[in-house]
Amino acid sequence: MAAPKSCALWSYCGRGWSRAMRGCQLLGLRSSWPGAPLSARLLSQEKRATETHFGFETVPEEEKGGKVYQVFESVAKKYDVMNDMMSLGIHRVWKDLLLWKMRPLPGTQLLDVAGGTGLAWVLGDAEELPFDDDKFDIYTIAFGIRNVTHIDQALQEAHRVLKPGGRFLCLEFSQVNNPLISRLYDLYSFQVIPVLGEVIAGDWKSYQYLVESIRRFPSQEEFKEMIEDAGFHKVTYESLTSGIVAIHSGFKL
Amino acid sequence: MATLLSHVLRRLRGLRRLPGLPRLAAEMPLRARSDGAVAGPLYSHHIPTSPLQKALLAAGSAAMALYDPYRHDMVAVLGETTGHRTLKVLRDRMRRDPEGAQILQERPRISTSTLDLGKLQSLPEGSLGREYLRFLDVNRVSPDTRAPTRFVDDEELAYVIQRYREVHDMLHTLLGMPTNILGEIVVKWFEAVQTGLPMCILGALFGPIQLSAQSLQVLVSELIPWAVQNGRRAPCVLNLYYERRWEQSLRALREELGITAPPVHIQGLA
Repeated sequence: MAAPKSCALWSYCGRGWSRAMRGCQLLGLRSSWPGAPLSARLLSQEKRATETHFGFETVPEEEKGGKVYQVFESVAKKYDVMNDMMSLGIHRVWKDLLLWKMRPLPGTQLLDVAGGTGLAWVLGDAEELPFDDDKFDIYTIAFGIRNVTHIDQALQEAHRVLKPGGRFLCLEFSQVNNPLISRLYDLYSFQVIPVLGEVIAGDWKSYQYLVESIRRFPSQEEFKEMIEDAGFHKVTYESLTSGIVAIHSGFKL
Repeated sequence: MATLLSHVLRRLRGLRRLPGLPRLAAEMPLRARSDGAVAGPLYSHHIPTSPLQKALLAAGSAAMALYDPYRHDMVAVLGETTGHRTLKVLRDRMRRDPEGAQILQERPRISTSTLDLGKLQSLPEGSLGREYLRFLDVNRVSPDTRAPTRFVDDEELAYVIQRYREVHDMLHTLLGMPTNILGEIVVKWFEAVQTGLPMCILGALFGPIQLSAQSLQVLVSELIPWAVQNGRRAPCVLNLYYERRWEQSLRALREELGITAPPVHIQGLA
């Protein structure tokens, strides 16, 4: 699918990305949830009665997808405003850095998962992608993998749909490495963010979930190991803004 | 999962050691069950908040309510985050009154599920119930638009503010004020005098900002003095068990409370 000349690379967060590399073929994947009518394949029902985390809450595993879906249904309308307010616009810098790292060229087949408002998009499930093996040059996921119920499956799927030589890139919240900044960050996260959510979007709980889910996500090293477990090689990460976010990269050989 | 949990636990414990930070429970309301000793919600919809969060919410909701007058939820949040002391005073006032004490005991709610609309419809013209229904119809409002209380950290006080909100429409009926901006401001002045709630006072003072010069003139010269006079004269309106007074004639109730007719006819008056 040829992208129009003035196509812009829209991120998971909507309108925050800088202008795209012209000519690159971009496919965005919007995560679907159980029951979504257009999904190519439905999420297979879990037989074991296991529990997982939903922020700091504990929920039955099969409920997590639906609960996360509700959160994003709720935040969608004010998503960009909230991202700008919460990060003081810094999320745009993070995304620009991701784009810079990937350096897509004309002709690059790129899959952006949990893309929100993509250009040519497909509704699917990060844990069961509706694509054949070995299809893409680059797989990106920005601020999406944290919300997937089975991160390991999403990583495996990423590995599957990448061509040999293909690159996996993930921009996600991570662990702050500096103790003082960590304190300030936690204070800001728990005291200010839900208040912002309530005042701007009328939604305390979704933003409470956001800050909690960030703390649930593995550290830079742990996530690196998970990516390696999925079969990626030369896995590296780069922390940004004292580790508030990190970009992880891996290659399929 | 275990490593994640222990990691989270380590971080939570680290937070608690630090001076100056709010209590763990308030910092991570509702869900920080990992440390075991957390004050959870006191009532359904309750979101426990730290003093800092309340201050931020109060400031933010005030600003947002001014910026976007359609954000009624912000007015509610402002009321909840600034009203604690006043709600205690109101609650004590209710306790001292026999009818008010009954209300605190029985906790009646005014909503379409608790109201027998058919019965109200069948009541005679001029009765409180019939006129209340007419008010709802004419102004096209429903008693169900009141959001539940969330930020009051006391379950009885949460009811008191909920009751205040649900009684608001009754006050419109009693005062004969429509739900346009002018009518709302007049009711706010009455409520400010009656309850002393900071949110009412702020609303009364800042509400008129958006009015035209003409409306402002009428408001200041006639309506506010009338509202204040009636507010001071009437007994506490939270001590009226409205649900037991549906058949009472509105005129008689107004006399009982010392509420006089409005000095000017506001457009759209029921």
